[in-house]
Amino acid sequence: MTSRPGDQSRTSTLGLPSDREIRVERVFDAPREHVWRAMTEPDLVAQWWGRGNRLDVVRLEVERGGHWRFVEHHDGAADGFEGRFREVTPPERIVQTFEWDGMPGHVIVNDMTLEEVAPGRTRVTVVSLFHTPEERDGMLQSGMKAGLDRSYEVLDAVLRSVG
Amino acid sequence: MVQYQSSAGEPAGAERLDADELDIIFAALSDPTRRGVLERLGRADASISELAAGFDMTLTGMRKHVRILERAGLIATEKVGRVRRCTLGPRRLDLETAWMNRHQQSLEARLDRLGAFLERTKGDPT
Repeated sequence: MTSRPGDQSRTSTLGLPSDREIRVERVFDAPREHVWRAMTEPDLVAQWWGRGNRLDVVRLEVERGGHWRFVEHHDGAADGFEGRFREVTPPERIVQTFEWDGMPGHVIVNDMTLEEVAPGRTRVTVVSLFHTPEERDGMLQSGMKAGLDRSYEVLDAVLRSVG
Repeated sequence: MVQYQSSAGEPAGAERLDADELDIIFAALSDPTRRGVLERLGRADASISELAAGFDMTLTGMRKHVRILERAGLIATEKVGRVRRCTLGPRRLDLETAWMNRHQQSLEARLDRLGAFLERTKGDPT
C-alpha cells in the first residue's frame, strides 16, 4: 500500500468476528450526514471509491432492492463491481451485496453502520460476510482446521497491510 | 475453480500472499478467457494450440493469456519437443482466502480515500 491520505482520522480497528467475516472500523472527522452523502450521491462517490483510479458510477439506486454498479479504470483495464441494496436506513445503515466481475458468483454481503460518536465525528463500521464453499457444502467439520488457519492467514495479511 | 483440501495436509491457502502478488493474481483472473483456461486445465493438461483452438483464438492471443497466467503462478508451462504444455499450478490458490485478503485491502484503501475526500470537502461535500 502506498500513501495514506486520511492518516489523521485513520483510527481503524480490525476484527475477524468469524472465519466468514471481516470487520473494519474507521472514525472520520465529519458529521454523519456528510459521510452518508459521500457514500450515496453518485458524483461524490466517483471522487473517492475508485482508490485514485477513474470511476464510472454506472448505477446507484440507493433503496431496498436497488442496483448499484461501478467500473474502475486503471492501466487501460476496467474492473466492474456491482450488487443490490438489501437495507437502506438513512443516515445510519446500508446493507448491500458486493460482487466483482472477476469472480462472478462470489457474493459478499457488506453491512455498514454509521454512528455519530461525537459532534462532527462519525464511526463507520463495515462487516463483510463471505459465503464460503465450506458452509455451502456442509463441510464445517472437516473445514474447521483449514478455516482457522485461513483466519490467521487473513489476520496476518491485515496486520501487514496496516503496519 | 475454488480449491480446498478436506483431508490431511496443509490447507490450500497456507502460503502467504503480499499485496503485489494479489494484484497480479486478480489481474490474471479478471479476464473471462483466462478463467476459462484455468477451468479447462483443471480437467486436463493442454498445449497452447489446443487451448487456442478451444477458445477460438489465434496462437498469439492465447500465448499472451498463458504468459499472464504463468506470471501469476496459476499455471506452469513446459516445452516438450515443439509443443508447449500447460498445467495448473504451482500456486495452489485458495481463492476464498485470496479474495478475502483482496477485499480487505480494497476496503481499507477506499476508506483512506473517503477520509481524504471528507477532509478536503470539510463543511460542505458538494
